[in-house]
Amino acid sequence: MISGDSGSKKSLMIAGAVFLLLLIPGVTGAAGNNVLRYGFRIFLYITIGEMWNLLSGYAGMTSLGQQSFIGLSGYALAVVTSKYGMPYPLGFISGLVISLVFALAMSFLLLRIDGMYFAITTWVVAEALGTLFMSMTYVNRGAGMTISAVPYPRIGTLYVMALVLCFGVLLLIKMLMSSGSGLKIIAMRDDPQAAEASGVNLKKTKRMVYILAAGITSLAGSLFFLNKGTIYPESGFDIGWTISMVFIVIIGGSGTFYGPVAGAVIYVLLSEILAHYPGWSNIILGAAAIVMILFCPKGIVRIRIRNKN
Amino acid sequence: MYILQVLINGMLLGGVYAILGLGMSLILGIVKLTNLAHGEYIVIGAYTSMVLQAQLGTDPFLSLIVSVPFLFLAGYLVQRFLVNKAMSSGAEPALLVTFGVSVILKDVLLLIFGADARHISTDYSNSTVMIAGLAIPLLNICLLVLSGAAVLLLHLFMHHTRTGMAIRAVSDDPEPAELSGINVPHTFAVAAGAAAATAAVAGLCVGMKWTWYPSSGGHYLLIAFVIVVIGGLGNVAGTFAAGILFGLMQVIGGASYGLLISYIFLILMLTIRPNEFFGRYLLFQRKRH
Repeated sequence: MISGDSGSKKSLMIAGAVFLLLLIPGVTGAAGNNVLRYGFRIFLYITIGEMWNLLSGYAGMTSLGQQSFIGLSGYALAVVTSKYGMPYPLGFISGLVISLVFALAMSFLLLRIDGMYFAITTWVVAEALGTLFMSMTYVNRGAGMTISAVPYPRIGTLYVMALVLCFGVLLLIKMLMSSGSGLKIIAMRDDPQAAEASGVNLKKTKRMVYILAAGITSLAGSLFFLNKGTIYPESGFDIGWTISMVFIVIIGGSGTFYGPVAGAVIYVLLSEILAHYPGWSNIILGAAAIVMILFCPKGIVRIRIRNKN
Repeated sequence: MYILQVLINGMLLGGVYAILGLGMSLILGIVKLTNLAHGEYIVIGAYTSMVLQAQLGTDPFLSLIVSVPFLFLAGYLVQRFLVNKAMSSGAEPALLVTFGVSVILKDVLLLIFGADARHISTDYSNSTVMIAGLAIPLLNICLLVLSGAAVLLLHLFMHHTRTGMAIRAVSDDPEPAELSGINVPHTFAVAAGAAAATAAVAGLCVGMKWTWYPSSGGHYLLIAFVIVVIGGLGNVAGTFAAGILFGLMQVIGGASYGLLISYIFLILMLTIRPNEFFGRYLLFQRKRH
């Protein structure tokens, strides 16, 4: 399990090669738009899946409210680009800053509780945001907002941005989890009291994890809505975002590095197939998640490992 | 005079809000778990009453004869065969199982009934009675009586039947309860069934009073939370008082701001004073460790 220096160098090189390979279709336009669209969605779902996994799988902080940051960043993008006519990268930055500040502020409330109550309260926060945006004239209430950019980025550009974000996040998680902070996070999840007794500052560790996940989820949210072009309170603060994150992490393998990657690929392909059977996708995704929790709580990544041995 | 009338109607609706919170209070107090599908149970209750009224043409209140046992059974089975099993590996897997059930039910309802808004109406839906010069909707009075009766029945069940006593014993501490011969998984499932049965009553109430959609469950779940947090866990009188308070907040703050205020109130209660509310829950956790 423990890879030496040369081992990690090797896997870094492989990751670099995969990155370059995946970059080719985006830059050259060698692949059709549909392939790029699949890739775009897979990279973003890996990103938000890894972030939910960092929260729930590694740190034991199961949140049902990550859609708060997707909605906030989507609205920041819409306000900055269409209300003030500024370029969309500025919208990304404002979405990021707003999400980080909001996460920091909320962390003082949310980190006082844990477990089930943390999960529910995060959801209530997202619902409260949705209700607030529904009644705020500044964001057109329920009528929603459009995102404008001239020229509007093509799918190739979106693909490359999502790819860079995704690999950046994977690298970040790999580095974080093999660092001292990663050990602190795992120790905190496994036994908070013992971790605290051994000198882990629980509040500080939790706050770092919560804010990091908020920031990166917001970047993915900006890209999602740059692709969509419009945002409504119900689409931005939709519990559906959390449903997809839960599915991706539970199916793939909670608390594993490759779990969300496998989960996101399955999620995007499955939802593409299920799109032909309207109304069935959440039923099948929900049932699959329940079956996995009950019979295979470690996810498909670990089934494969177990069979190998 | 008009203000007084609005306030009285807000208070009368307190019964409806109380019944929304009652099932949540029960399951949280006894199983120590939130059922995220509780809102969908309420919506199923509303659809069941709607279908029975449309098919049989009887008074919607009579539909409870079918919808209460139906939801009791559904709640029992979900708890017995899905949630209990997940609870053995911790609270969070169990919470996610109920989340999965909620997601599934929402879309099953959408497939069966479509996305249209629904409402259960009767001949007396818009009738009012004059009491001391105030026009009071007859429906509000009926719903208050119904929810009062449901609360009373639940109280009698919990305190004067052997099953109710077993539920309370398990709620205090499952281990000694199990040692005295109580079947804990079955008892948890009965409690979950009883909570789902209250959702049948709640569904009828919200269906007669307002309109609903297949996706309304999340909204009702959060209202149930607000009621439980204001009223205190497992406290029937508190739940009723909280329902009345919430009803007043709705008529004073208006629909969307009333909801926003109660969400913020809920967040603050949950995070700033968790011990007051969860005292019993935390005590139980400490005992187990």
